[in-house]
Amino acid sequence: MPTYQLTVNGRARAVDADADTPLLWILRDTLGLTGTKFGCGQGVCGACTVHLDGQAVKSCQTSLQEAAGHAVITVEGLSKDGSHPVQKAWIVEDVAQCGYCQPGMIMTAAALLKHKAHPTDGDIDEAFADHVCRCGTYPRVRKAVKRAAGGVK
Amino acid sequence: MTSRRDFLKVTGATGTGLVLGLYLDAKPRPGETTKAAFQPNAFLTIRLDGTAQITVPKVEMGQGVRTALPLALAEELDLDWSKIEVVNAHPGPDFKGMQTGGSTSVSTTWDSLRKAGAAAREMLKGAAAAQWNVAVDRCRTEKGFVLGPGGQKLGYGTLADAAAKQPVPKDAPLKKPADYRLLGKWTPRFDGPAIVTGKAIFGLDVRRPGQRFAAVLRCPVPGGKAKTWDEAKAKAVRGVKAVVEVPTGIAVIAESTWAAFKGREALAASATWDEGPARDFRSAALETKMRTALTGPADDARREGDTETALKAAAHLIEAEYVFPYQAHATVEPMNAMAAVNSDGAEMWVGSQSANRAHERAAAALALKPEQMKVNVPLLGGGFGRRLGTDFSTEAAQVAKAAGGGPVQVVWDREDDFRHDLYHPATLHRMRAGLDASGSLAAWAHRIAGPAVMRSWTGGQKVPVQASVESNGAYDIPYAIPAIAVDFAEVEAPTPLGWWRGIQIVPNVFARECFLDEVAHVLGKDPLALRLQLLGDRGKVMFGRDEADIQRLKKVLELATAKAGWGRKLPAGHGLGLACHAYDGRTYAAQVAEVSVEKGQLRIHKVVCAVDCGLVVNPAGLEAQVEGGIAFGLSALFTQITWEKGRTIQTGYADFPLLRLPDMPTIETHVIPSAEAPSGMGEPPVPVAIPAVLNAVFAATGKRIRRLPLGPDSFK
Repeated sequence: MPTYQLTVNGRARAVDADADTPLLWILRDTLGLTGTKFGCGQGVCGACTVHLDGQAVKSCQTSLQEAAGHAVITVEGLSKDGSHPVQKAWIVEDVAQCGYCQPGMIMTAAALLKHKAHPTDGDIDEAFADHVCRCGTYPRVRKAVKRAAGGVK
Repeated sequence: MTSRRDFLKVTGATGTGLVLGLYLDAKPRPGETTKAAFQPNAFLTIRLDGTAQITVPKVEMGQGVRTALPLALAEELDLDWSKIEVVNAHPGPDFKGMQTGGSTSVSTTWDSLRKAGAAAREMLKGAAAAQWNVAVDRCRTEKGFVLGPGGQKLGYGTLADAAAKQPVPKDAPLKKPADYRLLGKWTPRFDGPAIVTGKAIFGLDVRRPGQRFAAVLRCPVPGGKAKTWDEAKAKAVRGVKAVVEVPTGIAVIAESTWAAFKGREALAASATWDEGPARDFRSAALETKMRTALTGPADDARREGDTETALKAAAHLIEAEYVFPYQAHATVEPMNAMAAVNSDGAEMWVGSQSANRAHERAAAALALKPEQMKVNVPLLGGGFGRRLGTDFSTEAAQVAKAAGGGPVQVVWDREDDFRHDLYHPATLHRMRAGLDASGSLAAWAHRIAGPAVMRSWTGGQKVPVQASVESNGAYDIPYAIPAIAVDFAEVEAPTPLGWWRGIQIVPNVFARECFLDEVAHVLGKDPLALRLQLLGDRGKVMFGRDEADIQRLKKVLELATAKAGWGRKLPAGHGLGLACHAYDGRTYAAQVAEVSVEKGQLRIHKVVCAVDCGLVVNPAGLEAQVEGGIAFGLSALFTQITWEKGRTIQTGYADFPLLRLPDMPTIETHVIPSAEAPSGMGEPPVPVAIPAVLNAVFAATGKRIRRLPLGPDSFK
């Protein structure tokens, strides 16, 4: 059985699992990083969003083999102490309701702002079109992204 | 309302700080059958280091109880909000009233929590006064300290042990709203920092040493059973440890969730089914039965005046049929639960809105006494009524037992969640209105036909419609009409049913408020003017079991329409629509939607909502509930569950198009200032959103939409 090497939140990890295992389950069940959520497993809700080499990807649609050799950042690794501008904006705007879909939203917001410091409403629509929040936090997501805009290095 | 049976007592031992147990008699809600007395449902501990721990007797599913309930207590106690730890209760003899639903958490605990806070405050003051040898009434409290008349100052932690020896006051004075420091102020939710760092623990995130993961292969037709299967197929998958049979299906136990899913997939190909009594169930056939029931016998929910005679004598009769489909809850966290069973008893971890029921039923399934089982309630990744069910918790207990003890975490995937929901049932509505020769609304008849949700709660027992939820939102039509008949014709369906955010108020208010717009159109009256006229000058009015204050409803209607600029000139192709409702006579909501329809595409630009829910505990939470409630309502414009051959067509978010961020309208929330006791805000915004939008569609296009969900043909 092959062992795959990947870097998760800055730490080198060796994982022994089938090549087609979704990164989501490696994070949650093998590495114990439960901040990344399982919502649909079908790539349509965004709850499992993480960064792969700085790009937002759906970890339920990313295989272990695809992630191997790359740098993965999860919500636990976004900052040491919740001080990432997106996390701070999320608290100030009191975005979360149940909170379950929020790590995925936050990872999408962080990736968006890294690539575009001042996104338009259209950019925000496009970035979040793949996310489901059943609680309906959308208005505050938009506000928080705008609040964090310009602050992401 | 204050229950005289509430009482407080010191429950902690000396040296542990001040530990206060609050015993209260929770008011039963419709559908609640157990009526337990003397329920201790909140505990407060003030530790020697000055931190305070508050145990919350309700569960957090996004509605904000882990913030709102501690705020009520912290206000009276003058706690330092930054030194509070909030913990979840465990169902059992100490917490018998954990059921969380019906927008009742604040209203049913508000008095007791404040009284507990006030009592603890007086005890801390008493301890300080004794130490300083001054009169108690010359001491005051501020942010975790007692302050004396001569500038003395002692922290609550320092005083906690002495305070525990003080008598517990029976009627400690409550603060005046003008003196509130926390209540009514924007307070971000308590769990925010844990949520944004991924540290918040939902049911699916619970991890126990040695745990395994399970996926259950269930018959795609609810109620069906597996006949044959080849467990070797599952066991051939790497990581699969065992295959066991449980009452709900065949469970694949594995080292990881993924292995359990893969093992189940392999097993599924080998399974044959006895699909059971629902195997031929189809949505189209149910609709035919419901249509027949629209003119057959029914149970009266409300009957005033002689509606049939008035309708026959009407100068103008208006008739319409409204259709609302089956709906799923679609919480983003799928159902799940973890259980561990050993020779002494069992432990379970489950995000349940009905933790006491989940506890009792899982214990019964394991042939244990409830006291042999401990239940932990982590955060719920959405509830919306789905997690009032105990199917998934009982199943997890059965899987753990069959698997040799566990701990085993049973994980549902998205398809499981859609295929085995406890659904909101479809309903048909026959609406009739009679106008007399002078152009007044003389008679109103609302017939509801559909499956009875309440049976899902009573183990199949029929509940008289006047004590049930089936006509909520219809029987309590707030308008003054000389003859009113509201009735419910039950139509059986072999599907599981359950509570859904807003329950039957959603379809009933959809039909009621849209049809009233039709009446206004026929009368040539402005929809706002007609509503104001029909609400009239009445004050408090009794509808069945609920009393509603018509003037409070009128005021939210006036506020929402004023803020939305009702009657203003709109951009070409835009329309404004409104709707209002008095939720259980407790929370008043009115909404005005602005929409446009271009090339068959509906665009909802803005929803202005005015609410009166009594005193606002936390505006941050209130506005979140309004925004979220509207989003929930608007999603139901587009989603449906349909049945064919006994199974749902829909299996995931791809064919259940929930509202997403790009389509979310601007929401404006306006609150009527009130000193009345707080009510609830989880459900009240939901039912109003749908008719407000559809009435706006009519205003914009002249097209009256009576059937949901919206489809490509809706605007033709």
